Formats: sequence, C-alpha cells, structure tokens
Amino acid sequence: MPEQAPEDRARNFDEVPYGYTPETAIIEANRCMKCKKPGCVAGCPVHVDIPGFISLVQEGRFIEAAHKLKEQNALPAVCGRVCPQEEQCEIKCILGVKGEPVAIGRLERFVADYERASGNIELPELPPKTGKRVAVVGAGPAGLTVAGDLIRLGHEVTVFEALQAPGGVLTYGIPEFRLPKEIVYAEVHFLERMGVEFVMDFVVGRNATVRELMEEEGYDAVFIGSGAGLPSFMGIPGENLVGVYSANEYLTRSNLMKAYLFPKYDTPPIKRSRVAVIGGGNVAMDAARTALRLGGDVTIVYRRAREQMPARAEEIHHAEEEGVKMMLLNNPTRIIGDERHRVIGMECIKMELGEPDSSGRRRPIPVKGSEFILDVDTVIVAIGNKPNPLIPQTMPGLETTRHGTIVVDENTMATAVPGVFAGGDIVSGAATVISAMGQGRIAAKSIHEYLMGPQAAPVEETAAAQEA
Amino acid sequence: MELVIDGKQVTAEAGETILQCALRHGIEIPHLCTHPSLPPFGACRMCLVEIEGMRGFPTSCTTPAAAGMTVRTNTPALQELRRNTLALMMIEHPSACLVCAKRELCDQFRPASEKAGRTTGCHTCNNKEVCEVRRLSEELGFCHLPVPPMYHQRPLERDNPFIDRDLNLCILCGRCVRICKHQHGASVIDFVGRSSATKIGEAFGRSLLEAGCRFCGSCVDVCPTGTLADRYAKWYGKPDSAVETTCIFCDAACALNALATDGKLVSAHAVNAGVPVCVLGRFALAEFLNGTDRLRMPHVRVGKVLREHEWDAALETAAARLQPYVGSAFAFVCDTTSTLEDRHVFRKFTREVMQSEHFIELTPDARGEAHVTLPDGVKAACFTGAFADDEAVAGLELLLVQDCYPSPLSERADIVLPAAVFAEIEGTAADRAGAPRPLRRACTPPGQARPDWEIVCGLARAMGANGFLYESAREIALEAGVAEAALWIAREEAPAAARDPRERRTHFRGHDIAEKVLGLKNLPLNGAAPAAVVAATAQAPRAAGKFEILEKSEIAPNNHEIVIHAPHIARKAKAGQFVIVMVDENSERVPYTLCDWDVARGTITLVVQEMGQSSRKLVLKSAGDALAHVVGPLGIPLEIQHYGTVALAGGCYGVGGILPIARAMKDAGNHVIAVVEARSHYLAYYSDKLAGIADEFMQTTIDGSHSFRGHAVDYIGKMLQDGRKLDCVVAIGCPFMMMLTAQETQPHGVKTFVALNPIMLDGTGMCGACRVSVGEETKFACVDGPFFDGHLVDWEEVRDRRVAYSAAEIQSIGRTEPVVAAAHHGGGHACSCK
Repeated sequence: MPEQAPEDRARNFDEVPYGYTPETAIIEANRCMKCKKPGCVAGCPVHVDIPGFISLVQEGRFIEAAHKLKEQNALPAVCGRVCPQEEQCEIKCILGVKGEPVAIGRLERFVADYERASGNIELPELPPKTGKRVAVVGAGPAGLTVAGDLIRLGHEVTVFEALQAPGGVLTYGIPEFRLPKEIVYAEVHFLERMGVEFVMDFVVGRNATVRELMEEEGYDAVFIGSGAGLPSFMGIPGENLVGVYSANEYLTRSNLMKAYLFPKYDTPPIKRSRVAVIGGGNVAMDAARTALRLGGDVTIVYRRAREQMPARAEEIHHAEEEGVKMMLLNNPTRIIGDERHRVIGMECIKMELGEPDSSGRRRPIPVKGSEFILDVDTVIVAIGNKPNPLIPQTMPGLETTRHGTIVVDENTMATAVPGVFAGGDIVSGAATVISAMGQGRIAAKSIHEYLMGPQAAPVEETAAAQEA
Repeated sequence: MELVIDGKQVTAEAGETILQCALRHGIEIPHLCTHPSLPPFGACRMCLVEIEGMRGFPTSCTTPAAAGMTVRTNTPALQELRRNTLALMMIEHPSACLVCAKRELCDQFRPASEKAGRTTGCHTCNNKEVCEVRRLSEELGFCHLPVPPMYHQRPLERDNPFIDRDLNLCILCGRCVRICKHQHGASVIDFVGRSSATKIGEAFGRSLLEAGCRFCGSCVDVCPTGTLADRYAKWYGKPDSAVETTCIFCDAACALNALATDGKLVSAHAVNAGVPVCVLGRFALAEFLNGTDRLRMPHVRVGKVLREHEWDAALETAAARLQPYVGSAFAFVCDTTSTLEDRHVFRKFTREVMQSEHFIELTPDARGEAHVTLPDGVKAACFTGAFADDEAVAGLELLLVQDCYPSPLSERADIVLPAAVFAEIEGTAADRAGAPRPLRRACTPPGQARPDWEIVCGLARAMGANGFLYESAREIALEAGVAEAALWIAREEAPAAARDPRERRTHFRGHDIAEKVLGLKNLPLNGAAPAAVVAATAQAPRAAGKFEILEKSEIAPNNHEIVIHAPHIARKAKAGQFVIVMVDENSERVPYTLCDWDVARGTITLVVQEMGQSSRKLVLKSAGDALAHVVGPLGIPLEIQHYGTVALAGGCYGVGGILPIARAMKDAGNHVIAVVEARSHYLAYYSDKLAGIADEFMQTTIDGSHSFRGHAVDYIGKMLQDGRKLDCVVAIGCPFMMMLTAQETQPHGVKTFVALNPIMLDGTGMCGACRVSVGEETKFACVDGPFFDGHLVDWEEVRDRRVAYSAAEIQSIGRTEPVVAAAHHGGGHACSCK
C-alpha cells in the first residue's frame, strides 16, 4: 500500500498509509484463494467472515463488503488500522507460507473507509426493544463493541465515559497519524444513530457506583470496560523531574487535547529537543513517533534485544524509517535534574542477555560498571499500564487479582457480581484493541443471555435473522 | 558653578536641576514622577532635599542648581518624610506585598510573577521585576501602612490593541499624560475626576482607540508601575539583553532598542525616548519575529510534497535545479527592505553566477506592498518574499522562495529556504533618503533560518562559483562600498505612522503583518473600512456544553465565585474534592476545588482566580454561558473524623476550599478554628460564612489593615506558642502558604493536611502528570490526593512542576486578543459578574 515517505511524515500528523484505491483493492482481493477451511477466520478474535467480505471486494461490491464486516466487527475502520494482523488473521493465510499473505487488514480498512466516504452508512434494521437497560462503563474498544452488539439485540444501552470525548485508548492513546480521530468519531456516531446513548464527563465510581447504576438508575446489567489507565513508572531516582512523562500523559496531551495544534488549542505540547523513550512496545513507538513529529531527536531505550520487543514489526519499522534511534540492551538507572528540577540527562547501564525467564524471553542482565549518561532533556516512560483502580475500589464484592485486574469467567466475561460483566484491559491487563473487542463480543453475548434468560435466541441466530 | 551635595563638591551645568546634577555625579536621590525624557513636574515629592538657608524641603527635580548651595539628600528627616509620602501613595495601590514580612522568602520561592488578571500584589504583577515603586520601597525601608489601604475596583481595561491598563495600580505620577503631550503635542489621556476619584483616562470615557491613541507605547515605557502594560511582553519579566538596531518595517528606519530574553525578542522601544516610533516598531516586531508558523527548515519538493531537508542537501538540489536556467531565463526578485549587503549579493549572484540581467529590486508602495511582473522568457525565479500571485508565476518551471513566513507563493515553490530577518541579522538598511542605517543582531532566528546573503552565497558556492566566501555582512559592505551606518536617533519629528497609525505599512516582504500580529486587526487604516474590534469572546460561539453558569460574581478582586449547574456532581460531592473544567472544546483540563454545592438546586460553587490562559477563559464567562465540560467530584475526600481541635488555614482560592471542610469538621464534633488570610482587608471573602460555621474565626491580613497582621500561619504559630493544643491542621492555598504552614506545625507534631493542586490532565489517575513526592513515595494528586501529610511533601518539586509550562503559557497569553468592553471587567465592581 502506498504511504507517505518517512522524511515527510516524520514532520506531520497526517495518516501514514494512503490506503487502497478501488482498483488496487480489487487486485489485492483477487489474490484470495477462498480456502474451504479459512485459517484467517479462526485467527480473528471476533471471527470476521474474511473470505466472505473479500469476495464482495473482488466483485466491487464494497458497501456490501462493509456490511459483511460489520456483522462481526463494530469498528472495522479502526481494526483495519490497529490490529496486529500479522499474528492473527494474516499469519494463518495459506499464501503466507510461500509469499505475502493477503493484506486482510488493509482491505478491511479500505472497505470501511469506502463506506464512510460514501456518506451513506446504512443503519441495520433493529429488532423490537426488549425493555432491558445496560450500562457500559468506558467508551473504549471493549465498551463500543458491547454497545454495538447489544443495541442490535434490542436493548437500551448507555455508555458512560470519564473523558470529554469517546474512544478510550483509540482517542487518547493512538496518535492521529496511525488512527485519525475522525474515524473513531464516525464509528461512535454510527452507534449513536443506532440509539446508543453516550454520557461524557461521567466517572463511574465517583458520580455513581456500579451498584447505584443498577439499584438506583435501573440498569439491568453493567459492562465494565474501564481500561488499563494507570501508568507504571520504573521506580528509579529522578522520575518526578520536570521533563519526565508517562507515555499516557505525553500521548493524551497530543492526541486527546490536540497539543500539537497549540496555541490554537490551549494545552501546551512538550517540545524539547533530545527525547528518550523507555520501553519496546507499541505505546513506546507511538510516543517516539509523536515526539519526532514535535521536532525532537528521539531515542528508544530498551533493556532487551530487538527480537524481544513487544511492538509490532511494522511499528518498529515505521519508527526507524522516520528517524527514531534504537538503543537496545540498555536500561535507565536514574534521571538527572538541574536545580529547578528539570531533566538534563539520564544514566543508563548496558545489558546482556542471560537465561530465559518466566516469559520465555532471555533475561537481560546489567553489565557491571558499564553505566553512562545519555544527553536528554525529556524522558517518556512507556513500560506499561496497570488497570484503573477506581471501579474495583468503589465496588465491594468484585473479585480482583493481585495485579488489580477484575476476575471474570473467561467464557462469559461475568464477574463475581451477578449482572456485572467486564472486558478489555481491566480484565487482561494492557493488551490489544482487538482482544478487548473480542472480550466485548463475548460479554455482549452473555449479557444478552443473562437479560433474556435461557430462552434467549442465540446471538448468532438473531444476527442471522436480521440479515435475512 | 560649584555647589555641595551630601558633602561632596560638585559642578552644575547651566540650567541643571539639583536632581539632574546629583544623578550625574552618582548621588542617588529617590524619585518617581521625574523621567529623563520629560520636563520636571514635581508631583511625587520623593526627591525632597534640604538646602541650607532655604525653608522647608524643596523638590530637587524642580529646583535649579545654584552656585554655593549646600544640599543634603539623605537626612533621617528626609528619609522619614519620603517613607510617609510613599505610604500615602501606597494607600491606593495594592501594596500588601511591599510591607509583607515574608517578602524575601516569597521572592525566593516564586521569583517570577504569577499571570493574574487583576493584580492584587507584587507577586501577581507583570511589573514586579522592573518596578520602580518596589525598588523605592526597598531603598526606603518601607514596611508599614499608616491607615488601611483602599482599592478602587476600577475595571480592568483589556479592550484596546496592544495595551492593557489596570488603573488600580496607578500612583498618579502623570508620566503617561506628560509623555503623550510631549510627544504628540496633545495628550489623548489626562487626569480625570477630582480628589480621591482622580484617575488617568480619556475624555468622555472613551477607549484609547476611540480617543485617537497612536499606540506609540511611550506611556507604557515610562509607567513606573504595572498600570500600563504591553500585552505581549508583560509576563516575560526583565529582559536579559538590549541591542540598538533599526526598524525595517518601513523606510523611516527608526532606531529601536530591541529587548530579548534567552535569545527571544520580547519587545522593542524607541531608542530616542523623546521621539516616538510607530505601532509597528513598538508593538509588532516581537510578535512578528516569534510567530509560530515562521519558516524554520529548508524544504525541497519531492513529488507533490515539500520535504524537510538539511541545508547542504537543499542547496545542492537548488544548485542542480538552477543550472539549466543560467542566462536570461532566470530572475531574482527582492524588495528594498532587504539590506544593502543582501541586495549586493543577490545582484552579484544574478549577474555573475546566473548570468542574467533580471535582477529585480522592487520598491514597496506606501503600504509596503510590491508586485512583480516577470519579464518574458523567464522560466526560473528566486523570490525573497510573496511579491507575486499564483498567476504571475504560473509559467515558471522552477520557483525558489527564501522567506521568513510561508505564503501562497512558497506553498507552490519547488524549494523553500528559511530566512532570518530584521533583529535576527546584521547588515545595513537604507532609509528613505538613502542614508545607511545599521541592523544589529538582537535575537536568535527560528530553527535553522539564515540571513539572506548567507543563503545566496551558499547557493552560489554550490553552483561552483568563486567570490562568495564572506565571513560577515561587514565584509560584503566593504566590497559593495556601503558607507558606515549610523542609527537614526536624532530625528526631529516623528515619522508619519507614529503620528497617525492609520498611515502605517501593512505588508512586509509581501506578508500581511496583521495576520501575524493580531492587535493590528483592530487598528484602523486610512482608506480601509473601519475595523470592528475583533474580540475573542465576541467571536467564539457559546460553548455547546450543558454546564450552565447560573451565577457569577467577583467576590473579592480577582476572586470569582462561579455557580454551575451540575446536579450529578452536587449529589456526590464531599469536602475536599475537586472538579476538572474545560471551558470550551479547545481548552485545557484544569482542576478547581469544590467550595460549595447545593444538592436541591443541583449546583456546585467554585472560587476561581484568573492566573493564566485557562482561568482567564473561565472568568470571562458570564452567567447564562455554558461550560463545555465539568467532571467530578474527583479526588479522595478529606478524612473527616473527631480529631478534637481542628485549625483550618485558607489563603487565596483556598479560603473557598475550607468552607465545606469547616462544615464537615464541625458536624463531626470538632472544635473548629478557621484562620483565613488575605493580603489586605479588601481581598477578604467568605468571612461571614466561615465565622458562622467555625467556633473561632480569624481573618488575618498581611498588610495589617484588618485584625491580625500576618499570614494564617503566623496566627497558627502564635496559637501553638501560646500553648493552644491543636489536634489537626488543614491548609488550602498556594504551595508557598501550605509549605509555610506545614513547616510551622512540624516541630509541634501537629498532624497537617495540605491540598495539593498540581497540573493535571485527566484527573482520574490515567496520566500521572500530577505526580508528587510524599516521603519516600510517588503519589498521584488526583487519585491518591488531593490531601497529603504536609510534613512529607517535597515542596520544591511541587513548585517546579507547577511552572513546567510557564513559557508556553506566556506565549499563549501574549497572543490573546482584546476583550470587548461588554464582556470584560467593566462598570465599577462588575467584571462580567453580577
């Protein structure tokens, strides 16, 4: 797929790939062999009928292809951009054995963009109202999926969001150049048109507890998708200096608050010259690439080797292409500040790989006496997030793990409290958008069954009936 | 003639006053109303002296020096007189900080002033670092006000272009009136009203704009207080460098004193204070040079986009692309605002390297505009500004632009090179009469911008040409035979645009200056339709938010009580919690302490001080307006239990914050002592409310104008020293106030809660912007706080993290547009408040 040249995009916030044209999409779709037993569908956490939508693309029936996608996936324009297809659907593609697999993600993106650009997003026919009310906590990928599924099953759905805009990590975390916010808002608008009610600026746990939502506000079930919104720090000296940011803060300033458009927007960006990003995940890549676009000279500091980086290969590739430097097998030991508590450097120690640890990756071990000082004025800590504690704290009876995640039945996403379900990062720690959506899908199905009792028509049949 | 001043034999020149003579001999006599560029006035009575054989205390600024005089300038009697005179002046000035016992500590803890709307003391005053009154009060050892001061609550005037005026700070020295009269023949401002109602103003209550102000800024420059302020420059503090250079916005070529901080131009003033410069020279230069969209990096078109390049690569590409057009197919287009050195290099490059006769030097018209028609056959051109529209360059095969700002021309160029201009470069400008005027470097160019001659020399060298190896503009000047330049200081008469700003130029290198310098949009032009005042508040549509402001009033100067409809917050609010407010969709998310709430009415109450861009936006809202987002209650409520005797200390906005805590502590059976501080009696608020709730109430004032003199912490310290047993202390206020309180209670082992209010983003624990070090631990103020053990907080870290974005904020405030009269603090006591 054609994309902006790295030299250009490293200085703007426009989306990196240009996307397929109808012609190139059909050429790519024609590569699909329509396997009898499609591995790609099995690899997809929400089991999208991939050969189905691709055959519609082959025929140029793009709008119908979009409808096909939406049967299983509420947010195709988003997933086409941010799913790790190389480990899910595309890795299973038979063409991938000897060559390049079909670009499923890019086709998904094309189809969703085509439908949105047509300005004619058709509403599916909705079943009669069941009279049941469901509260969804958090307008991130899990919550939006649950809302989309349940509204199509005839329930009334209200989504409560603490921030001023919906989308969760899609809005505050993933940068504009990877996922234009306009797309997130279009998906949300689609849900609104189907009847989902969105309440912004509402903090469940503060404005109302989950119990109050059920007992006082009359919700029959609650889905908790409040995410992993508590940034981890390293616990090294100097982490509270001016110039040290969590990746969450750095990205939220830029993405949600539009700091890169300062002074048109009031939130100031963090424009400094020498930036170190600590971590090797997708969030580290997002932070590094954002810092680059704000004019920084950016280095990623990661304690293991390249092969162990958890980020998607494509993200690492994009970051390096744009000019992000990699300092692998290095670990920060302290951050150094001046007399006004501003960062003026970071001490690191070199690492070498030892025996594999519990994660199966070779354990990094510090090389004695190899400390050195990196000349930086900004440090972005992107070593992960913990679950947001607000709801577990304010909800007795909810079972949590020692990591703070909510304990659920994996088959139903039901918590220990009847009528309360959970999914996404609040359950799995910090994971991917699509896995959150996958859990949302399971939760929606079991919420439906919980609400309608054992007589409830299975979700698949209801959806199929709608199609017919 | 000879005379003796303070025992020193001195010689006076004919016509000299005693003050002038003393100052010339290094003998400092305190003075305020006198200014070097003004005739003597004798109003402030600061420069009183004793002269042997003369009765009383004559003013040295009006008394001519005479032979044989014996003058004493610094006797105890004079000192006492001056202190008393200053005290009288300070009764109508926000003077509490001058007599504050903690003045030095405060200056150490927060050296820069806070960016308040209404100034209520030195540390919220834009003039703090250069204030003459402040310096004088230090010199005189001024530490006591004889009677309680008064505050006129005059409206803040922020509806004029470029100039903010707060007459509450005015000491009526009359310098502004006199300089205006002196420079323009007739003053647009004068003393208005009588006795204690006297103020500086325009006749008939008009605005400066309506009264025909020329916006030469001389009044701002001579004001000894913070009353008159340059809106763009006011929060930058004291500049660290001053360089005299020449203004090249037009060919009047006025001499300017360019002031910079950290290499960034902050403002510019006339070098000759006796003759004013025009609005462009005085007010437009800093904003123009600091524009956020200045060209910073070379760009070369690759495919459809302009791509950032390093200089060497860009010049090489440019050279290679130019090569085929050597000869008459090339043209170089500049205008005469370029320096003589630049133009010499341009001409030499065009003739010798490009071997073209088309070196086109445009002379801008009266408005500064210049348009070129390219000669037939020209296929490649280099422009130093936006001197042509799209159509005029449509036939070009290659377009190079070297300029300071992007333009439609640079948008379609093949190569764009960033140019340093004006106070960023050295060189020689030619004025209208052709006389050479020097340009001297006063500030750093943005990004990698370079002087034009350097760009073209680089280009010439990249094309293999010899003779373009200059080290400096001076070297070029020698080659070109440019005469030694001299600043135009001794100008007899002000240039036309300084006498009438409607005559000013509008364009520089083809760019509309008003697009970069917003205040100019409100200033009329001759021959143009009169501009309506463009006001931020008038333009912005009302926020579509659902959080309506029901009531709003300025309950004390710069303290705004705002009642907001938010039933779901009111229902859950508990003492000590806060909300996050976004005024509109472009705003920051800013935390404010909940001061009160009413479940039945569904309202919450905030007390907000204007202290920067976001709170400014909030206090400029009126009842009936809606806020885009209010979220809360956030934070962990204060632990309310039966402690025994509880002292609650409140300062600034925190006085409102302790109201619900007093109530809750009282309900829990505590003996509640509320101690609230105000800098002066007129800044106190909520006194009756708090007195009605607390068992004991103490309003302290820092200037001693009411009740106990000192900070809240001083009263708490006094109680502890008197042996009063306090079981718990809660302090809410600025970090300085909370730090002092915690330091006071620590040796007594009294449990002390402080409410930290650092910079926040989401306020729900998601970002960690609000990290604070408490003991050995890192805490998030939003979800672990806001209350922490004051004895364990790292206060210096709290202080430094709070000002992390000051530079960006100053830039943002500096560019705020004027506020329309209707929406600003107009009409006596009211802002937009009822």
